[in-house]
Amino acid sequence: MSADIGRIRIRVPAIINPGEVVRARVLVIHPMEIVDRRDGKPVDRSYNFLNRMIVNYLGREILRVEMTQSISENPVFGFAFRASEAGPLRVTFLDTQGGTYEATTDVKLG
Amino acid sequence: MAGAAGLTARPRVVRARGRLSSLEPEEPVAATMKRLFGGRPLQDAGRIVALDLPLIAENGAQVTMAVEVQSPMTEQNFVRHIYIIADRNRRPLNARFTLTPGMGQAFVGATLRLGESTEVRAIAELSDGTLLMARREVKVTVGGCGG
Repeated sequence: MSADIGRIRIRVPAIINPGEVVRARVLVIHPMEIVDRRDGKPVDRSYNFLNRMIVNYLGREILRVEMTQSISENPVFGFAFRASEAGPLRVTFLDTQGGTYEATTDVKLG
Repeated sequence: MAGAAGLTARPRVVRARGRLSSLEPEEPVAATMKRLFGGRPLQDAGRIVALDLPLIAENGAQVTMAVEVQSPMTEQNFVRHIYIIADRNRRPLNARFTLTPGMGQAFVGATLRLGESTEVRAIAELSDGTLLMARREVKVTVGGCGG
């Protein structure tokens, strides 16, 4: 499992018309650690969870997500974007331990 | 970036990376709402903000949520932020999305962690500052021990 941390899968429709608004789905493997509790009190230690996702399309940021541990383990995100041109859709995740995870898919227009 | 104080800004994370002080505070949802939106007026707008959640979630550890706001996404008029808040989680704020006109449509989704049965709110902040809210009740069969 831990070897897979930060593995990202991006899904976009296979056939996209120029200018069409389409939806993408992004899966990322991450434990999203929650706070341990001992005797009802939170344990003060370092917790590893994703706190940011940044989506770039054609080199421009189109979406940013700031998140907390109230997002699930191995989370899936969805978002819309207008496929104005063929080109790269890049997704970057940052976690609280300094991890940076990135994946890119090519948006192809039909 | 109105309301940005509610989420761990990057400098705060660096100063106290990962320790409890860098996490969202444990607080009742009323405190979260006050922290994020102060006394700003909030309109209930379930017809403009469509919040999609299951009525019953077998497993609170992974609950699929999607929200779509009926709004233009032009440079002049767009949805700037969508906040997702689970009332009964210890740390109610789940996520803040910052959208841009390049999306073409104000649609986002994520898999939430819900500690117990709870009302979930989606709050859309439009580019003119208007706040629109939708709420849904989710029955959670097995809690997700939400942080």
